[in-house]
Amino acid sequence: MLARYQNIFKKVMEYIVIFLMISLSVLVVVAVIYRKSGMSLSWYDEVASVMLAWLTYYASALAALTRGHIGFNGLLNAMKPSLRIPTLLIGEALVIGFFILLAWVGVEVLVILGGDNLTSLTWVPTRLTQSVIPIGAVLFIVGQLLSFPDMWRQAMSEQGIAGHEDVEIPDEVPQNAREGESP
Amino acid sequence: MIIFLMFVGLFLLIMLNVPIAIALGITAVITMLIIQGTAALPNIALVMFDGATKFPLLAIPLFIFAGAIMNTGGISKRLIAFASALVGFVKGGLAMASTATSMFFAEMSGSAVADVAALGSILIPAMKRKGYPGPFAAAVMSSAATIAVIIPPSIPMILYAVMSGSSVVKIFVAGIIPGIMCGLAMMGLSYGFAVRRNYPVEEVFQLKKVWSTFKEASWAFIVPIIILGGIFGGFVTATEGAGLAVLASLFVGGVIYREINWEHLKEATIEGGISTGVVMLLVAASALMGTILTELQIPQQLAQQITDLTTNKYAVLAMLNLFFLVVGCFLHSAAAIILVVPIVMPLVHAVGIDPVHFGLIVTLNLGIGQQTPPVASVLITACSVAKADIWEVSKVNVWYVGCIFIVLMMCTYIPAIPMFLVNLFYG
Repeated sequence: MLARYQNIFKKVMEYIVIFLMISLSVLVVVAVIYRKSGMSLSWYDEVASVMLAWLTYYASALAALTRGHIGFNGLLNAMKPSLRIPTLLIGEALVIGFFILLAWVGVEVLVILGGDNLTSLTWVPTRLTQSVIPIGAVLFIVGQLLSFPDMWRQAMSEQGIAGHEDVEIPDEVPQNAREGESP
Repeated sequence: MIIFLMFVGLFLLIMLNVPIAIALGITAVITMLIIQGTAALPNIALVMFDGATKFPLLAIPLFIFAGAIMNTGGISKRLIAFASALVGFVKGGLAMASTATSMFFAEMSGSAVADVAALGSILIPAMKRKGYPGPFAAAVMSSAATIAVIIPPSIPMILYAVMSGSSVVKIFVAGIIPGIMCGLAMMGLSYGFAVRRNYPVEEVFQLKKVWSTFKEASWAFIVPIIILGGIFGGFVTATEGAGLAVLASLFVGGVIYREINWEHLKEATIEGGISTGVVMLLVAASALMGTILTELQIPQQLAQQITDLTTNKYAVLAMLNLFFLVVGCFLHSAAAIILVVPIVMPLVHAVGIDPVHFGLIVTLNLGIGQQTPPVASVLITACSVAKADIWEVSKVNVWYVGCIFIVLMMCTYIPAIPMFLVNLFYG
């Protein structure tokens, strides 16, 4: 059941991230073409910056699921499992607490912003662009909670928790390379 | 007192395995509550949003995306074939070709981890098959991958430029000569190892083969010429250059070589997106911390205290080098730049160090940090690919890290080395 929810969350977040990455690339290339044609897009800087912020928070939520955020697990892994578990729980509670606060103040800000709009695209409300903060915070919490059982299992094991740098051979490597064939 | 408690709190949170970005956020929020009270809370959301909208940082996801396309577009193997034809005839030729390929690849990829994952997965098994010991092969690839962050484009350089308010383009230019020096020194070292340990020759030198592999790889060379030429020539900004890199790599991989694997590209795009999210969340959280640092005037106080001791810029550079080398052992390069650069910049300005020169020094220091445990992302990736013990690899790698260290010392105390091209192009 948990694996199913993890998979659904992962797929949805992956498609959002792919969409944002491709959209950003297309936007920048189109903006270069327009600028070189002497018809600069007045809204390009503002929209691209907003898209970068969106990519930041949606991709961060995906990274929370894969526990990809940069951290230091050396001390935690040096502890015995009996001490490691409570320490892990404190760390997890602090992370979730921070994002609960961020979601709450994010909603507060949406109320404060009222009817403000973007400077270059006056028909786009800043409430829409800023909504990424509360939504991103909630998604981060979901990603963190969905990946917590795996963290718990790792913390209980002798090897401890895998860090963000503990990588495996990436999937894009050709199979023949893995088998040691000549380049 | 509050400053001391803030840094102790940050350190404790990082030790508790709280991700550094969130540790920064929590520390900043608690300090903000103590200083300004609850009225400042809505600022958290505003600053966390604004911190992620720094326009020059758009180049990061785009360069990562371009690198992902190149990795799956058949460019790596053509670069390897050309480098092998070029230097494969000398003893230890494949090791030297590995470094040379990393130098070529560095012109298109801004990430050392991406470099070692893409090239190491092909070259490390090939070296092992030729009789090179696994730890040696891993050390060669690991150290060579660091060239990716020294030769432009470079993600740490983009981050440094944004955090310090310097020119991305000038820092890119400053990295060219030191990057080439690192590569040549590493190739020389590989030759020395090969002669001493009798490592094999890869292939006979044939001008015809050099030409044919060059023709095959020529499109791969055109991509960085377009990107870097456009950026250095002032035709496009670094961000626009990154956008063009995506377009050019799609064209070369999809239209010219016709080798893009769309399924792998999808995976690489997701990985690129995650990398961007991880780095950018750090940037956003550092903006929150930045408001506290500004309020408490911590960078200015640090600059004042150190300049009371000495105003000799070379003594200050020695201190900063030592500091960044230690920090690099424990922190990922992005985290180190985001945490430390805003704090030390007033000091850098106060003693008259050129921020561009300093940017290159920071990059070299953190390049060494990628190779030194416990947090050694590039070294660990190379060991994982080679299935070699990190300690055995480090015993060889220390010599290659020594090459980067010598270049670091030369660049620190002979500023003309990194600054020659900067001054030549930008006066």
